[in-house]
Amino acid sequence: MRCRSALTVSLLGILAGCVGGDRPDVRAATGGTLVITASGDPETLLPPLASTVPARIIGDLVYDRLAEVGDSMNTVGDAGFKPRLATAWTWATDSLTIAFNIDPDARWHDGPPVRASDVVATWHVYSDSANGSPYAGSLASIDSVTARDSLTAVFWFRGRSPMQFYDAVNTMSILPAHAIGSVRGAALKSATIARAPVGSGRFRFVRWNAGASLEIAADTANYRGRPGLDRVIMTIAPDGNTALTRLLGGEADLIEQVPPTSIADIAKDSTLRLLLSRGLDYNFVQFNLRHPKNRNRPHPVFADRELRRALTAATDRRRSVQNAYDSLANVALGPTVRAYPTTDTTLRHIPYSPDVARRTLDSLGWRDVDGDGVREKNGTRLEFTLSVPGSSRSRVTMATLFQDQLRQVGAKVNLENLDFTTFIDRETRRDFDAVFGGWRVEASPGGIRQTWSSTGSRAANGTNYGSYENPLFDSMVDSALSATTLPGRRRWFTQAYQTIIDDAPAIWFAEPKRVMAIHRRIETRGLRPDAWWINVADWTIPPAARIPRDRTAPAN
Amino acid sequence: MAAFLARRLAQGIIVVALVATIVFLLIHAAPGDPFSASLENPAITESVRETWRREYGLDRPLGEQYVRYVQNVFRGNLGFSFSLQRPVVDVIGDTLPNTLLLMSVGLIGAFGLGIGTAIVQVRKRGRRVDRLLGSLSLTLFSVPDFWLALLILVGFAYWIPIFPIGGATDAVMYDMLGPAGKLADRAKHLVLPALTLALLYYPLIARHQRAALLEVLPEGYISTARAKGVGENAVITRHALRNALLPVITLLGVAFPALLTGAVFIEKVFSWPGMGLVIINSIHSRDYPLLMAAVLMGSVFVIAGSLLADVLYRAIDPRMRDEF
Repeated sequence: MRCRSALTVSLLGILAGCVGGDRPDVRAATGGTLVITASGDPETLLPPLASTVPARIIGDLVYDRLAEVGDSMNTVGDAGFKPRLATAWTWATDSLTIAFNIDPDARWHDGPPVRASDVVATWHVYSDSANGSPYAGSLASIDSVTARDSLTAVFWFRGRSPMQFYDAVNTMSILPAHAIGSVRGAALKSATIARAPVGSGRFRFVRWNAGASLEIAADTANYRGRPGLDRVIMTIAPDGNTALTRLLGGEADLIEQVPPTSIADIAKDSTLRLLLSRGLDYNFVQFNLRHPKNRNRPHPVFADRELRRALTAATDRRRSVQNAYDSLANVALGPTVRAYPTTDTTLRHIPYSPDVARRTLDSLGWRDVDGDGVREKNGTRLEFTLSVPGSSRSRVTMATLFQDQLRQVGAKVNLENLDFTTFIDRETRRDFDAVFGGWRVEASPGGIRQTWSSTGSRAANGTNYGSYENPLFDSMVDSALSATTLPGRRRWFTQAYQTIIDDAPAIWFAEPKRVMAIHRRIETRGLRPDAWWINVADWTIPPAARIPRDRTAPAN
Repeated sequence: MAAFLARRLAQGIIVVALVATIVFLLIHAAPGDPFSASLENPAITESVRETWRREYGLDRPLGEQYVRYVQNVFRGNLGFSFSLQRPVVDVIGDTLPNTLLLMSVGLIGAFGLGIGTAIVQVRKRGRRVDRLLGSLSLTLFSVPDFWLALLILVGFAYWIPIFPIGGATDAVMYDMLGPAGKLADRAKHLVLPALTLALLYYPLIARHQRAALLEVLPEGYISTARAKGVGENAVITRHALRNALLPVITLLGVAFPALLTGAVFIEKVFSWPGMGLVIINSIHSRDYPLLMAAVLMGSVFVIAGSLLADVLYRAIDPRMRDEF
């Protein structure tokens, strides 16, 4: 999208103005209260410092981005994005700058209009390393942001990339410069706006009772139109059973992740419905290809590609995933998820075949000489420790089955259940034989560079903990991320995924689905896989279906 | 008395300092640090993590961190919570009153119920009522706390929906209620967690109280009271009970620190926004300042509980006044 039609924008503005009024027909169409249960408080409500899901939900509903990733999750170029604070944008002829036109009707919830200077101030808050924003690294491609005039913010990039637009709009929720003021560094965490946000989104902040609940309400005069709901209340229920009881007892309307054991209870309740969607998580057994105690040396077992392939062939991934998740997860395709439009679901996998695994191990010289059921080669036993985060019941289940499956081909797996922090510590020090890891990916597949390529293996802070390195894979990933069209990106990613699957630095296990439970009276719109809440302002509750709490909204 | 209190206070300060030092060293020796979990997010760069460590002083040598911590505590600054991104004092200010309210009502209920049950058992000793109440106490004593809490929650908030499903107030309606309505709402939310606590603690009190009462009943002054024609109820409540309270006061001294931490599962199941949950979360997230503050408070509560028990001993048993 090089430029949006001004006429379309004006019409949208007029429409928004109509919806934003308090005419009786609009009042009838809008209203109701959505009660969400969350397992904990947000850590902050200042988006540059927030990373937990509760904080992101509130942040995304109270604040606006310049543009939003569309439901198709196409992040190449700007075609897949929807306008938000920016009604239009213009690329420079050299593609090194993008000028965003701010909606002249957009206002902060405390009154002042949103201006380009707010965008500039926001960029400084996110990118200044003194502020410690976890998103600073995602803005590395942007050199600076300036205000051409009060309604035009210009992003200047260090280089051309198909991800420029995504980098510019997806990371930052635009903040009010007047509320941030000159606060910087550690003081940001204690700023008033960190606990009482002032945004421009279709919901405005009302109150936060720490440890109990958080409430946002419809911004009835919002430039993008009044939300369909009057209020959204997030109640805190640290215990999963209590959260479920609240849902079944009618005190809550939505649980964002239903445990598999509770699905039958919810299915029986006629007031509730289950929403199954693609998730953004995948998990895997990752082999350490370097020696845990000396990274300069290869791992005595896993450095051998053919051995890794044999262990993969010995693993019945389908049965393991079914045991751990029933039908609530797919077998993972590789280091990706089905929600990406760039993922090819026909990738070839190493088929499950214990016989092939045994024959391969024999041919590699791994034989059970002493008859103890474990193969040896040159005095090294085919035995290793698999570290598993004990907090993940599904991974513990799959690890147990994995242990049994490898035992059948003469490999001994010692399971090590670790608390999460210790597990992460072990991973980051790369002090392990194998780990049952997992990643939650972002809206764009760009994170694969950090998690599976040589860059992530060699960098001190890299997250390619298994140290898999293949220049061919790296170049394919680079080509994919440089592709300017969706088909082109998909083609390169397919080759990259196939390469890494064939090299078997990990055994890809499950790609869990997202199972939400929601009250039937609520009509949802556009559940984006990475952020189901992003379109909550468009959700509605038909007047005839409303329950008493839908009629108790405070006066706006 | 003043000398006794001063001595106990001095001992208390030493205990608190020792406990705080040991916990400080132990938590820093545990694998990982407060920002380990962020390593799971590849978008967070090492320079950002370094900024965080610098911000919280975690890049300094351990000895320096300890000295700074002690200095800050003496200035009344308990630090800034990593995980909640708030001053620790604010976190405690929000959660401690809720925990104190829940535990106070729970303990009053437990002691009331425990002492009452013991009196009934002693009055009917050896009979079916005694055996029945004894079995009930034993059963409740054996029940895991989270299980009982869940059972009560599901029973009285879902199957028979007469109480709310957790929380300290109604998240939807509370702010629209008048003062009387708000008070009633708070009371309604308090019933189930406080009842659970009372049911969990009372069996212990009842068994101790019953044994203590049975021990004093053969005493001469009890026989004298009976010989004077004092009724059995009055004998037990006016003469025997006062002398049989000492073991229960010891229990109170032990239970007092639980005001802070003992209700973790109850708070979790009933979504009660108290200190217990904060402490558990601070352990999981390696939130050093919050955890250290919780440890300090726990130590203070232990000492306060023990002191309270001593003062109550003195109030109830005049013979103990000579020991001060």
